[in-house]
Amino acid sequence: MSPIDVVLLLALGWPLMMALLSLARVYSHATQPHVYLTWGWVSAPWPALLLAFLGEAQWVMESWLLGALWELDAISRAWLAFTALLWSLAALHARGYFAGEQLKAQAGDSAAQRRMIRLAILWPLTLTGNVLLIVAEDIASFYLGFALMTFAAYGLVIHTGTREALHGGRAYLILAVLGEGLILGGLLWGAGDAQTLTLPGLREGIASAEQGVWMAALLWLGFGVKAGVMGLHVWLPLAHPVAPAPASAVLSGAMIKAGLLGWLNVFPLGLSGAGDDIATLGRVMLVMGLAAAFGAALYGIWQRHPKAVLAYSSISQMGMLTSLVAMGLVAPDTWPFLWPAVVLFAAHHALAKGALFMGTSVSEHPPRMPLPLLFGLLALPGLSLAGALGAGMVSKWSMKNALYAQGHTGLITLLTLAAVGTSLLVSVTLWRQWQQRGEPGSHACQLGGWLAALIATLLAPLWLPLPADSVTPPPLAEWWGLVWPYLTGIGIVVVGWGLLRRGSGPSVSLPAGDAWWLYACWVGWMQRYIQVLAGRLAGTKKRIVASSLQVERHVMRTIERLLAYEGWLRHHTSGLMMALALVLALLMLI
Amino acid sequence: MAWLPLVTLAVSLVAAAIIFWLPEHAWHRRTWVNLAAAVIKLMLVGFIILRIVNGHEDTFSLPVVENVAFVLRADALGVMFAGLSSLLWLCTTIYAIGYLEDSPNRKRFFGFFSLCVASTLGIALAGNLFTFVIFYEMLTLSTYPLVVHRGNEKALAAGRVYLRYTLTAGVVLLLGVVWLHSLAGSLAFSEVPSLIHYLPDYGMQLSMIFVLLVGGLGVKAAIVPLHGWLPRAMVAPAPVSALLHAVAVVKAGAFGILRVVYDVYGIELTVALGMNTLLAVIASITIIYGSLRAIAQQELKPLLAFSTISQVSYVILGVSLFGPSGTIGALVHLLHQGLMKVTLFFCAGNYAEELGIHRIDDLNGAGRRMPLTSIAFTVGALGMIGLPPIAGFISKWYLGVGAIQANMHTVVLVLVLSSMLNALYFFPVLYRLWFCQGPAHGQGKWPEERRLGRLETSGWLLWPTMLTALISVLAGLFAGLPFSPLEWAIRVAALEYLP
Repeated sequence: MSPIDVVLLLALGWPLMMALLSLARVYSHATQPHVYLTWGWVSAPWPALLLAFLGEAQWVMESWLLGALWELDAISRAWLAFTALLWSLAALHARGYFAGEQLKAQAGDSAAQRRMIRLAILWPLTLTGNVLLIVAEDIASFYLGFALMTFAAYGLVIHTGTREALHGGRAYLILAVLGEGLILGGLLWGAGDAQTLTLPGLREGIASAEQGVWMAALLWLGFGVKAGVMGLHVWLPLAHPVAPAPASAVLSGAMIKAGLLGWLNVFPLGLSGAGDDIATLGRVMLVMGLAAAFGAALYGIWQRHPKAVLAYSSISQMGMLTSLVAMGLVAPDTWPFLWPAVVLFAAHHALAKGALFMGTSVSEHPPRMPLPLLFGLLALPGLSLAGALGAGMVSKWSMKNALYAQGHTGLITLLTLAAVGTSLLVSVTLWRQWQQRGEPGSHACQLGGWLAALIATLLAPLWLPLPADSVTPPPLAEWWGLVWPYLTGIGIVVVGWGLLRRGSGPSVSLPAGDAWWLYACWVGWMQRYIQVLAGRLAGTKKRIVASSLQVERHVMRTIERLLAYEGWLRHHTSGLMMALALVLALLMLI
Repeated sequence: MAWLPLVTLAVSLVAAAIIFWLPEHAWHRRTWVNLAAAVIKLMLVGFIILRIVNGHEDTFSLPVVENVAFVLRADALGVMFAGLSSLLWLCTTIYAIGYLEDSPNRKRFFGFFSLCVASTLGIALAGNLFTFVIFYEMLTLSTYPLVVHRGNEKALAAGRVYLRYTLTAGVVLLLGVVWLHSLAGSLAFSEVPSLIHYLPDYGMQLSMIFVLLVGGLGVKAAIVPLHGWLPRAMVAPAPVSALLHAVAVVKAGAFGILRVVYDVYGIELTVALGMNTLLAVIASITIIYGSLRAIAQQELKPLLAFSTISQVSYVILGVSLFGPSGTIGALVHLLHQGLMKVTLFFCAGNYAEELGIHRIDDLNGAGRRMPLTSIAFTVGALGMIGLPPIAGFISKWYLGVGAIQANMHTVVLVLVLSSMLNALYFFPVLYRLWFCQGPAHGQGKWPEERRLGRLETSGWLLWPTMLTALISVLAGLFAGLPFSPLEWAIRVAALEYLP
């Protein structure tokens, strides 16, 4: 067993052990009160983080599920690095965020105890799933990791147990089940057709299959539930505002990226032999992605809750990423240049979104520092996300660079315009945070996690294990091209705010979850229809039973009549016999 | 060693005889006989498995009249079912000992329990249709006393319905067997059936016989609309339900259909007659119908009953898919469904015995009070939905891949839809177990709490539950290991598709 094997074992086993330890402690009869989020618990993602920096490796295990193939290649290493880092920082933040609840639990509040137990168990379980799906290169392990992450995260969403949280959790779960169904359908179809058990095999199978486009479409929508494809995104703005800040950070940073990784794993990206149908799907994805990027920005700015605004910002960012992935299908030649940009974009968005979500909890309980400094720091990840600064700028530039090289200038313009939307959203978030800032009193861990996430966001290209020279910082001349969308966004917000104040018109606020309410109406309508139908069926059944009973009665009556004849015959046996004998005698005489 | 199948069968019969002979109050001796018989049988089946791996196939044959023989044959497919039944018999026996503590008529119960398992083993090892029918009818008669064990009006009514369904089905099955015998003579089960030679001349008759056979077997396999007896039979004690659903009755029907398709007709002939499409359609209807009915249930055991109706038809669905993957899916689900369903019924029994819970909405917070049982239930439920790493995923995977390879894409739709429906009725139960507050958190009280043991409940009830749950996880997680259910199913399927 080489060192990297041990680290792999720890990367999966350590969080699992933390979950089991938390579970075991629930039923141990210890006298002193528990500390639920121990340092062991915080350290759960550390081995995975280490693993990402140990280089490429491959593992084959025949006996695991349908046969395991785990691999750390260029994409999965980078993915594991930012995912594990975000989980580490969010865990640190959580230790501070839940300090109050911990005190309550220690004081004997049973509801708080229950919530903390649940968190202590389900958090590391979700993490295990997330790590597994990144290293998995065979379909069964990937699906296992995905399902484990999805369903364990339900407990994180409904943590507070309020009515809104349960509603958000329900939206999350319903869409998750729908997504799992679509994924299962797509995986079975693709794997059955190509007779393969691994993801690379699936990719090639989809590229060469006659109906590959439909398999890819199923998988696009299935993973799209996580990645917030328009129409399937409704759980995001419902679940994010109600989940605790660290949970929102990993939900929005790491877990929705799992959907994106799913696409990278199953789509024949950069394979030129994939055919026209796949390119058509790519175009549909491109349009849907851009629509989500703009639509979410336009809808999101009317949200009251800063976390709801951030959820819409995630949908918008994922829309941009969707359109980039779609380019890999539409123009396969672009992909070799584009993928490092996509990975950097994903990593940067994960950490920036993580920092922003942690920031919402920091602004609710501001630390003892001057407010301008605090809000300056809170604005940094947003600035970076809009591409005006730090890693965001590098990420935007590498993306533009890759697209320029292949001459896709139209898309560049659209993505630049979408960046205006991003800056609108992050400005609105900051404004809402300012409005809703609370009493001072942050915990050190809470603050530490957030600050570390901030630094990691800005420096993403420096630590992310990407191939050498795949991303480069932009030259100074290009600087203005990257910054103007941000300034435009700020300008629109300031002007808009002024107009709203002057006009004193009705304050607009749209419900979070947009289309969810439409779906709910449809389902209610369908339910009524089904009830009527079921009532009719029950009536038909009753009629059939009644008519069969009537037939039975009829038959019984006939049988009874026969029995009556028999009785009559028995009664008159002797007479009949004599009559018969007489008839026979007469016959013989004749 | 031709006597090996006979001895294996005889173990349960002898155990039944001894139990009937022992007096009612001889608790210890009866327990010893029960457990010893179960262990010996498990060991014998293990021995048979080893012999099959080494290439020996034992057959016991006894001519009854000319052309009709009583044949016991330990082939790979039969031993697969025999292995499942003897493993789960051991678990269920331990469970039943704990479950029926201090209840009356235990002698009758365990006697017929052993007879029931003996008939299941007979069904597994039967070497031709004649022998199969004998044990199939014996199973009907030996389970009746178990179904009506409680002896109250409801149980007796359920028993009447059960007999009405199964005896009628037995007549239909017999009719099919006799007709087939008159057409083609004595038919031993074999991997390369010779019936295909009759296809050009007797195609119509063969189709009609097939419908008769499947109709007769379909009642026990609870195919819609022949399933009416199953939800009613839920009045039986929990270990009986567990055995009925996991190995004995329902599985016997499904196993019979497997035998008819693979070893009497042969998969080529079945496809040539178009009968596999018929099977796929009725199995799909049953799967969806069972899931839909399960959603509407208020009580735990009827929910599990409708879930069984749905899940057992996965086996029939797999049979209808022409190709190795479909066959592997069918065979492996026969085992996996047994393991997971027995776990779920054990859990339902634990809740009922320890806390008096029968209704789903009484389960609030039961995860706190009975964590191990609830974990086992969660394993079973997730397995039924088909989530990895539990065994149910493996079967669902092979069924889906088999459907694609057989070019029946709609079947994948049925599988996915059924998974989602399963989630729809199992997730609310899990939510109540783990996320709702209940009596364990000081809100309200359990319907009827009894403290049966030092652990969360009596060890007799808890350990078998944990064992079957553990095996369900391991069978999925390490499906690639030798002697796993999957590996054995692949071995059997390889025999069926030999050129």
